[in-house]
Amino acid sequence: MSLLEVKNVSRFFGSLRAVDDVSFSLEAGKILGFIGPNGAGKSTTMRIIATLDVPSMGEVRLDGTSVVDRPDQARPLIGYMPDRYGTYDDMTVFEFLDFFARAYRLKGLERKKRVDSVMDFTGVLPLRDKLTSELSKGMRQRVALGRTLLHDPKLLLLDEPADGLDPRARIELRELLKALAAQGKAVLISSHILTELSEICDTCAIIEQGRLLATGAVHEVLSGASGAAPHLDVELKLLDSAELAMRWAERVLLEQPLVKQASSGGLGVLHVRLELPPTTPLTPGWGDAACAALIKVLVDQKVPLCSLSPRQLDLEDAFMSVTKGRVQ
Amino acid sequence: MSPSTPDALDRLGAELSERTSPIVVKEVRQGLRTRVFWIFFSLMLIACLIVALVAFAAKVGDAGQGAFIATFLVLSVVQFFVIPFSAYRSMARERDEETWVLLTLTGLGPRRVIRGKIASFVLQGVLYASAAAPFMLFSYYLNGVGLPVILVSLVFAAGYQVFLVSISVSLSTVAQGKLMRSLMQFVVLAMLLQALGLGMAGGPALGEAFRNGGVKTELYFGLGCALFAMLSTSVLLFEAAAAGLSLVTENYTRGPRLAFIVQAFGAAALVVIGSQAFDANEALAVAAVLFGVYAMLVGLYVGSDRDGLAKNLEGIRGSLLSPGAYRAYLLVIITTLLVGCGLYTVALTTDIAAKKAQLIGAMPAFAVLYLSLPHIIARWLPHGPSQTPAMVRIVGLGLLLLGSGVPPLIGALVATPDDPWLNLFNPVIGLVNIAKSDEPSGGAFIVWVAALGSAAVATLMLKRRDA
Repeated sequence: MSLLEVKNVSRFFGSLRAVDDVSFSLEAGKILGFIGPNGAGKSTTMRIIATLDVPSMGEVRLDGTSVVDRPDQARPLIGYMPDRYGTYDDMTVFEFLDFFARAYRLKGLERKKRVDSVMDFTGVLPLRDKLTSELSKGMRQRVALGRTLLHDPKLLLLDEPADGLDPRARIELRELLKALAAQGKAVLISSHILTELSEICDTCAIIEQGRLLATGAVHEVLSGASGAAPHLDVELKLLDSAELAMRWAERVLLEQPLVKQASSGGLGVLHVRLELPPTTPLTPGWGDAACAALIKVLVDQKVPLCSLSPRQLDLEDAFMSVTKGRVQ
Repeated sequence: MSPSTPDALDRLGAELSERTSPIVVKEVRQGLRTRVFWIFFSLMLIACLIVALVAFAAKVGDAGQGAFIATFLVLSVVQFFVIPFSAYRSMARERDEETWVLLTLTGLGPRRVIRGKIASFVLQGVLYASAAAPFMLFSYYLNGVGLPVILVSLVFAAGYQVFLVSISVSLSTVAQGKLMRSLMQFVVLAMLLQALGLGMAGGPALGEAFRNGGVKTELYFGLGCALFAMLSTSVLLFEAAAAGLSLVTENYTRGPRLAFIVQAFGAAALVVIGSQAFDANEALAVAAVLFGVYAMLVGLYVGSDRDGLAKNLEGIRGSLLSPGAYRAYLLVIITTLLVGCGLYTVALTTDIAAKKAQLIGAMPAFAVLYLSLPHIIARWLPHGPSQTPAMVRIVGLGLLLLGSGVPPLIGALVATPDDPWLNLFNPVIGLVNIAKSDEPSGGAFIVWVAALGSAAVATLMLKRRDA
């Protein structure tokens, strides 16, 4: 059963349909990337899930509880980090986390343990007595993430958490999120930095002009993004760039059932497209299996193979293909 | 002192900190770290010290009075200006930096957050007052000022400070968007400067009243009424602010509506008690007019809400305290009629002049009329469902302005600006005209018929929309 279920949610502001019939679900321990251009309705959807706004239509259930009807029961299950980190400049890291732990009704020793554990997990323990205004953006963001974890929520809603972070901070954030998902937390993350999402997300949802354009497991969205059958583009490099060797390799390749195209790119390079037949069910890792099978055949047929590099569609391709850059 | 005492104190401090609202702990932590606090705290102490030294050196018989007034004025600057403005800034910052939503998500809820804010700034006020207290006590020892004056002034100042902090915090929640909050800051500054002037004048005036009149029951009763007015308005503002920050799926209207009922009936009870106890029947007419204005303005605000209520609140549909324009309107109208008619009934049992009794009797009709028409008109105008309360309030204020301004203008064109029939529904001149007549006039009857008719139309319209 899904931890979070968003069913036909719409939010209208006058004649503007900020969110229009959006539905998706998220399971515990999974990370869902919420992708869309500015003004697409990502933040509005997240605010509705976070009980900060009420949908004009539709229903959001979190662990079986309606967040619309019972926001007070849903709030303890949610850790929300808005696009602005929301730290108090004149408080130290410890004071900030201690205040929110108090607000979450954690008492005495339990509160102290929880604050220490969160500071340790997010790596801000050495900075406990520093004012948050003196921290770097990356560190502030860690403190803000720590705040969302204080009450041990089941669902994390992170609105553009990587925005404005340097590469190191981004990589560190990615690792933290992976660790949180491994702990069983469901993570809904929105970002413009699509390469970041593609590496950590299990599922993704692409939204534009308030409407959900694609949703599902990342590989499903990727394969369906171009509108073509699920496929994989591969680049082969041969040790021998002679024409004869190239032709021999092309012939061998075209005899394989999954190979749709094989063409020479010059200087011993071959561009190959593998495509799943429409009747074959799409499974995660089908591309890896297909590549392994291809290598075996080429080696068996004595093709002088030097390297094989698959180029899978990434989220950026999917995003560009699905969306049209429309804003409202 | 036993060796275990420090441990006991630590434990007591820890226990106290555990039991205190997290918002108070946070605000005190932040407040004590600001430059504003230390600068004003130091300045206040220095000023109080100078006042005490000068008063001591003056060696005049009643130097204490001057010293007390001067200390009170110094304290006023902090209590009636610095602290309320800091409270406004603190709440506005929460909204600007979006930490507000994080507080909401902790489950504290708008009421607890706002209550914590107000409490923490009142606590800061107590801190300042404790520092100034020895100087006030010193002024007592210098003669010229009595302990009752000092105590009453401090209690009154505390009530006034709670009132100003509540207004400031509430105003910070009204403005949406950073720009509006920046503009509102100037409004708050202007309001607080005016309030500071009033507060500074109030202290010495109080002292003078005690000096001239001695300790009279009327004075204490009047002070009690003023304190009730300030504190009940503080509660109403606090509840309105909390309601404004709540979701439509929450029972956000219970607080403001209860506060409205308590304030309306409480004020009416105090007026009746006062008029009977001190044989001041004329006060009933003043109270009726003030109540009419109150009902037309505060009632308009409390009585306007969105149509219908969220489906999760269906279980409390029957209560007039539940969300929904229909229930809000009914509650305000019933309260207005009960209080208005109650005052009229009391007036009839006294020897009040017939003219004034007529005025008391007509006032609720004007209030009901000007509370009903905005609901009817606003629902004819195009607007989104969420804008209904604002639309009702705008129409209501517009009607009041038009109703009191346009008939005299038309009258001036035909050389009879206060024509009784032209100004029949004018909430100012119409009421005055009714009160001028020695005999019961048909005007009051017509206003009552119009008021009850419009109330019936508004009730039916709102009931249909509530379904």
